[in-house]
Order: sequence, then C-alpha cells, then structure tokens
Amino acid sequence: MTAERADPSIRVTLTVRTEGVTSHLRVPAGTSVRDALDTTELRVRAACGGTGSCGACVVRWLHGEVNPLALAEYQKLDVEERAQGLRLACQLRLGGDTEILLNNPAPPSQWKSIPAEDLVAPSGKLPNLEQHIYGLAVDLGTTHIRVALWDRKRGKRIAARRGPNPQVSYGVDVLNRLNAVQTHPERAAELARLARTAIIQAVRDILNRDVGEVTPMLAEIGQVIVVGNTAMLALLTEQGGDALIAPENWQQAVDCQPHDHAAWQAQWYMPNATIGMPATIAGFVGSDLIADLIATDFTSGPAGSLLLDVGTNTEIALWDGRTLHVTSVPGGPAFEGGGIRFGMPADPGAICRVRPVAGGYACETIGGSEARGICGSGLVDAVSVLLVAGIIKPSGRFVVPSGEEGYRLDAANPRSAIGGSDVDAFQRAKAAMSAAMAVLLKRAGMVWADLRRVCVCGAFGHTLDIAHAQAVGLLPDIDPNFIELYADATLAGCERALLTDGGDALFSAMTDKVQAINLSLVKGYDDIYIDHLRLRPVPPIE
Amino acid sequence: MLEDIIKAYKEAVYETDKEAAFEVVYAALAEGVSAEDIVFKVVIPAVEELMSGINKDPDANLAQHFMTAQIAAVVTEKMLEKFQHPPELIGRIVIGTASGDLHTLGKRIVMGCLKALMVETIDLGVNVPAHRFVDEAVAHDAQVIAISAMMVHTATGEHGARGVRKLLRERGLEDRIKIVVGGAPYRFDSELYKTVGADAWAADGVSAGKVIVDLIKEVKSS
Repeated sequence: MTAERADPSIRVTLTVRTEGVTSHLRVPAGTSVRDALDTTELRVRAACGGTGSCGACVVRWLHGEVNPLALAEYQKLDVEERAQGLRLACQLRLGGDTEILLNNPAPPSQWKSIPAEDLVAPSGKLPNLEQHIYGLAVDLGTTHIRVALWDRKRGKRIAARRGPNPQVSYGVDVLNRLNAVQTHPERAAELARLARTAIIQAVRDILNRDVGEVTPMLAEIGQVIVVGNTAMLALLTEQGGDALIAPENWQQAVDCQPHDHAAWQAQWYMPNATIGMPATIAGFVGSDLIADLIATDFTSGPAGSLLLDVGTNTEIALWDGRTLHVTSVPGGPAFEGGGIRFGMPADPGAICRVRPVAGGYACETIGGSEARGICGSGLVDAVSVLLVAGIIKPSGRFVVPSGEEGYRLDAANPRSAIGGSDVDAFQRAKAAMSAAMAVLLKRAGMVWADLRRVCVCGAFGHTLDIAHAQAVGLLPDIDPNFIELYADATLAGCERALLTDGGDALFSAMTDKVQAINLSLVKGYDDIYIDHLRLRPVPPIE
Repeated sequence: MLEDIIKAYKEAVYETDKEAAFEVVYAALAEGVSAEDIVFKVVIPAVEELMSGINKDPDANLAQHFMTAQIAAVVTEKMLEKFQHPPELIGRIVIGTASGDLHTLGKRIVMGCLKALMVETIDLGVNVPAHRFVDEAVAHDAQVIAISAMMVHTATGEHGARGVRKLLRERGLEDRIKIVVGGAPYRFDSELYKTVGADAWAADGVSAGKVIVDLIKEVKSS
C-alpha cells in the first residue's frame, strides 16, 4: 500500500513528539498530517489552505510509511532540510503507522477543524453572485459553536471549525445564563459580547490558517446565517433574554434579529455582510431544530419520521405526513459529558465505544489516545454492556455497590470508571428523551411500530451503537436500518440555506408545518417519564 | 402469609419493578388479603422505610426514588378502589408549582407518596399565582399549601411562597394553614425556606411526605 492510494477504511497511528510530550492519534490511512492534527489541540502552523503554498507547516518525519516528497515541498524546503527529513505537514500523507517531530506548533487555540467525515456536502442550485461571494454558516450551541466559511459562487467549503461557547462561564445550561441576565441586566451585554467575539475568532482562525489573509477576506463575506436555540439567539442579540424566563413567552416565536445591524458589521469587520437569524419556533424550540430538518430533507421522508437533536436540551420532531409535531425536553447534560464523574464531550481521549471482550471490556477512544473520560455514546455502551453482564440491574442499581471509585471499564485506568450517580444521570436523560418521543407519537395517533425513519443528530455523533441504545430504551425498538446518525446536521442545514437562492424559504417551509408542544402542559407526562426510567427497551405507548 | 407478601412487595419495590409489584398485590388479593391490609400493612410500611432510608443512602439515586414513589402511588390508587369503606384520611393539602415555574416532576413524586400516606392532595397544576394557592386552600379546608419551585427566581420571587405568606398573614390564616416548599434552590441553601416565609421544606419528594404529615398533625393539634 502506498500513502497516495491508501485505503481510508484502514486506520493508522500517527505519533507526534513535541516539546517533550508524545501523543498518539488514530486516523484513516491517506490523511495528511495537517488534517489529522487540525482536529486536535496540537496544530501545525499554517497560512494557506493546505496547498503547500505558505510553507509554514514544517515537521520532521522520523519513521513510518509516507508518500514521497511533493512538488511544493521541493519548492519550500532546500536540499539540506529535505535530507534532514523535514516535510510540509499538509503534503505529508500517512501510509502506515508514522512518527513525526513537531518543533514549533501553532499557539494553542480553542478552535478545531470539524472532521471531514462529520460534514455533509450540500446539494442544489448555487446562488448567482458577482461580488461578496463568501458566506458564513454558524451553529450557536449552548456548549459548542460551529462555523463554516464558504465560497458561495463555487460551492466550496473553505473550512469549518468547532469550539466552546465561552458563555459557559455564566452557567452550563440555558436557564443559568438567562438567570444571570435577569438578575444582573448589565451582564446581557457581556454575554452577547462573549458569543459574538467567539464567532469572529473562529472565522479569523479559518482565514489565518486556511486562506492566509484576514481583513480583506472579511470584507468579501456577503452573508452570515446564525441558527441556535431560542435562548442562545436571544442572548446573542440582547433581545428578550430576560423575557424568555416567563412561561407566557415559551409558546411563541421570539424575535432575535440583530437590532443594530451596522454595529454588528463593524464589530465583525464584515461591512458587506447581511447578518440574519432565521425565525425560531417558540421559546423552547429554536432554529437549530429547523436546520436539522432541512439537512435531513425531513418532510420529504415517510410519515412516521422522527428526528432527535440530542443535547442538554433535546429537541424532537415527528413528521406524520402533514404536521411537524415538535417539542423540547431538558434531559440534562449527561450525553454531553456533564454531571458524569469522568464525563467529557466527544473530544480526543473520550471513550466513545465499549465492547465486551474476554475478561473485561474494550474501550475505544476518539483519536485512539489514552482514555481521559467518557462521552455520550461511550456512556450508552457502558450502561448497556454492564446491564447485559449483570453488573447493574434494570433499576439502575449496581449489584455490588460500585463504591466511591466507581466501576472501572478498563481496570488499569481510573478515568474509565462509572458510578451509581452516573447511571442515575443517564437514566434520567434517556427517560426524558424517550418519554418525549412517546408523547409526540401519541399526539399523532401513532405507536413505535409506525416509525419508518429516525434521525439522531447532536451529541452522539457517528459513534452511537444503535443496538445498545435500543436495549436500554434510549431509542425505539424498531428495525435498526430505519435509524440514521448525523454528526453536524444543524451546521449542514445552515450551510444549505447559505448556498440556496432565497435560503430563508427553506426555513419558512418547515416552520409553516410546525405544531409546538410544551411537555410541561401535557397531562400525565411525568408518569410516562417515570415509566421510561428503567433500563429496558422502550415500554409500549398506551 | 402476610410476611411473605411484604417481603415480595419490598423486593419488587427495591427493584423498581412496577409490574412485579402489581403481581404481588393481585396475587395477595386472590388469596383473600383485603385491599385495606395491602395498603396499611404492605404499602405504607414500605413507603415509610423508603422515607427513612433516603437520607442514609450515600449514593442516592433519583431515578430509583421516582420509580418507587410512583409504584406506591399507583398501587394505593388501585387498592383504594377496592376499599369496603372510604379510608380515613390524615388531612388535606393543596399543591402546585410556583408562579413562573412549569417543573412538575417534584410535585408528582410528593403527590405519589402522600396518596400512599392517606393524605388527600388537590393538584393546582403549574404556574400557580399566590392568591390561588390561598383561595383553594381555604375552599378545600386544607391544612398545608405545598409549593414546588425549581428555579431560583420562582423560589424567591414575590409571586411564590413570599406572596402566599403575605396573603395568609393579611387574612389571619397563619395558624390554620402552613406552607411547605421544595425544589432545587432550597437544597443549595438549607435556610432559604425561612427567607421566603415557609414553615418547612423537604430535600426531595419522598422526604416531603413525612414533613407534610408532621405539619398536618401540628395544625390539627393546635
């Protein structure tokens, strides 16, 4: 096998030595060293789109099978450098397990590339543009912000980034942030500033690393679309954040347009950009759910289609052929790693899959490095395999109390431990989600067996084990072929709108069909929720 | 025989297995045990044990508490239908979530435990204004107003427990009607219930059962 014609289904290990630290990364064969590292906190320096034209990403190859020197490397590296094994990380592709030395990494950044396998290529007719051809799609999440910069004329994604929402310092959940604004109105401006600054930093990171010039490019951005949950958009635009806390306002759409468009353009150095936020559905259901529906062509699918956007608040939509029944349920942050002792987001080092093997369990981590904690899909696997093994019971109780340390999935790694309170948090999160699904189906006069399509978006990414999720009652017990996993559907829906002439119509076509249901006002919801707490396949809809 | 039933029922409750609990109860009925005995000798002791155990459990599991409280409530409900005479009630309360608050689960757990403890509960629902708590308590001759609030601003706001206290004082009802509060903010600050004018608080829905029964007794003995 050569590195140029590597089989991406084969995963290879990239070992990186830098400043006395050695780290390992599992990536598909054929990946460039730059692309591999761009998804981590350890990045090479860069000032072009990986074309070899800037020459900033120099690394030293130590050993392992890689591609021969590329033309760009002959141009940027002299004979002596090449003899020392120096290469350009953007040109260096992995054929097998490889070790490199990275002497001068890029300064640490919160922003990481979104892996190519998580992105969707939008389809459809491109807008006809003569100027300001660039466009920015933003998914403003409670925990993470995702942005993608596009050349709208050519339909080419320049790059996409994911980073933390800095508002977490005012509370990990929506309610705490709304509280912060209500009790201290002067904080509204600060929360808005944090989110706006984060977005422009992400864009600057892309322009610095993937284009090589910043300010002139910002002026070429003609459109920005931001989607998110209603509270995040209200906080971003400093509109109605405090009003959102009153139940009277939960049932109606909230206006989240920037009230001073020119000031935003100035703050972002985007004088030619139209900055817009597609309308939200209600105080508790945002435009992020609509973006998911657009990305999955939801209403073109069969009646009996269900979509989940899993997070601290999970939004759910059910398509019955005529109406989109939608709701939102606060299941807690367990699936995003919150409230779990060694919980973490789906970042490198997170246990994302757990399989029983002879004498124990095999834990697979994101990026293949040593386990630092466990993410949502790993937690689903852990609870499911421990249930099957008889370590925990359907009640959620450990047969033998797991003690203060918890039960280690990997005996050698204390950060692989799961405890009683973790199982509890898992049960409450999964029950909230599956009970909400049951309520929507009941509304539409349907039962589990009527489902023909289930789209799982959000926190689980691609690593959710469907059979395990079904065994513990997180997903309905239907033909697994009906269940589809999406990693970044919200961003994909936003991108689709950005690349479609009159993209706003995509949003209004969905919202016109929506009927929003507030679970707090559904009689008997609590009992349905409690019925879903046990670790077992979903109970029938009565 | 009753001992075996108690043991089997407790086992089912411990495993949070509602179906198994009902199997035990219906088998007992078939064997001639009265619905009254099932409630007073099987279900209530199990609830009381749960209430006393909840504070000792270091790894307290909320999911299990919710499930066990629900089992107590639904079993009691089914058995009450079979009582020869209406059961003697300990007292009556009105319950609801504070103005501005739509969180219903805590209230559901409290109601479940109270049902099993023979306290009549009148559910006022969610987002209940202060005056309605008082009006309904008077109309139903309730001894206790129970107010659930899961958010800081609904726990401490003027339209929640504070407002209810003000109305009770204005109408001279403070000896006849007591206020109990519950919800996350009170767990973070165990003195908060005093600040908002409540007579008592409970850390969880199960413990609330005991706190409310004690308050009812206090009102009735005065």
